[in-house]
Amino acid sequence: MRYVKHYGTWAYILHRLTGLALTGYILIHIYLISGVHDRVSFQEEMAIFNNPIFKLLEWSLFSIVIFHALNGIRIFIIDYFNGARYHKQLLTGVWILSIVLFGAMGLIMFT
Amino acid sequence: MIQVKVKVYRFNPEKGDKKPHYDEFTVEADPTEKVLDLLHKIKWEQDGTLAFRRSCAHGICGSCAMKINGQNRLACETNLKNLKDPTRVTIEPLQSLPVIKDLVVDMSDFFKKYEIVKPYLIAKTPPPSAERYQSVEDRQLIDESTKCILCGACSTSCPSNWKNPNFLGPAALLKAFRYSFDSRDEGAAERLDIVDQNDGVWRCHTIFNCVEACPKEINITWHISELKKRLVSRDY
Repeated sequence: MRYVKHYGTWAYILHRLTGLALTGYILIHIYLISGVHDRVSFQEEMAIFNNPIFKLLEWSLFSIVIFHALNGIRIFIIDYFNGARYHKQLLTGVWILSIVLFGAMGLIMFT
Repeated sequence: MIQVKVKVYRFNPEKGDKKPHYDEFTVEADPTEKVLDLLHKIKWEQDGTLAFRRSCAHGICGSCAMKINGQNRLACETNLKNLKDPTRVTIEPLQSLPVIKDLVVDMSDFFKKYEIVKPYLIAKTPPPSAERYQSVEDRQLIDESTKCILCGACSTSCPSNWKNPNFLGPAALLKAFRYSFDSRDEGAAERLDIVDQNDGVWRCHTIFNCVEACPKEINITWHISELKKRLVSRDY
């Protein structure tokens, strides 16, 4: 049986999904960095990532990090302040701030 | 008058139904009528075997909580004209509770959890000569939580509850707040010990489905957050 997904439900689903994505990312990151023991091998490895596709991937990683972090703050405000009374406005704030920071990071990375 | 196509969840395990199915009825109704009126028209005029609960029909008893167009509501409070498409209504029983027949669910588990949180005032001091006094401000604090009619719409809309049937659920936690924050109560410590367990308040992931579902517009998540705050700040 299906249940309607509300604004808050989407925040929960996205928080879980971005959390899982970040867990996956950190495992890959640790694996890749574990074989690097000196300056030369580090620079060789960095050269692989220095292309537009990986830059785009990094930018999308940033979007995941920023949404997860800001929504985490929203959850904290809900749990330990009076955020439950204005959780929808908080979520709108999370979206706006995420998009602004995502755009700003795009400018820094690609200009 | 409009023609409403009503899709109703049907399941009768007593008659040997292995799995549920949906029946579709066409009902003539005024847009100002409630979903409960549709169910009455179906039961009285088309199919007397349809089973659903209702009692007061005025949003007080909480018997007619069901899932209407994918969202928990009271059938008696759901005005057709307030639905996105008043000509198509899907009615299902409250999710995650065992279905006894059609829209009637077994609420035993819901009330068991309600009893677990000790939903009554616990007094340890002898009663004063008159009533146990409560100031207007102290009463105000629990005002919203006293409006709960125990319809079950919140707990059965909660994804944490669907996944983990042991989770006390929003309704029981709201009751825990209602009594623990009552200035006349002296049993908060034991009640807080109960909600501080694995399947207590910490299973609330602030999804807000309960708040959207509550027909009495109680912000249940806020009350659960007050319990969380009380738990992390209490002295040992």
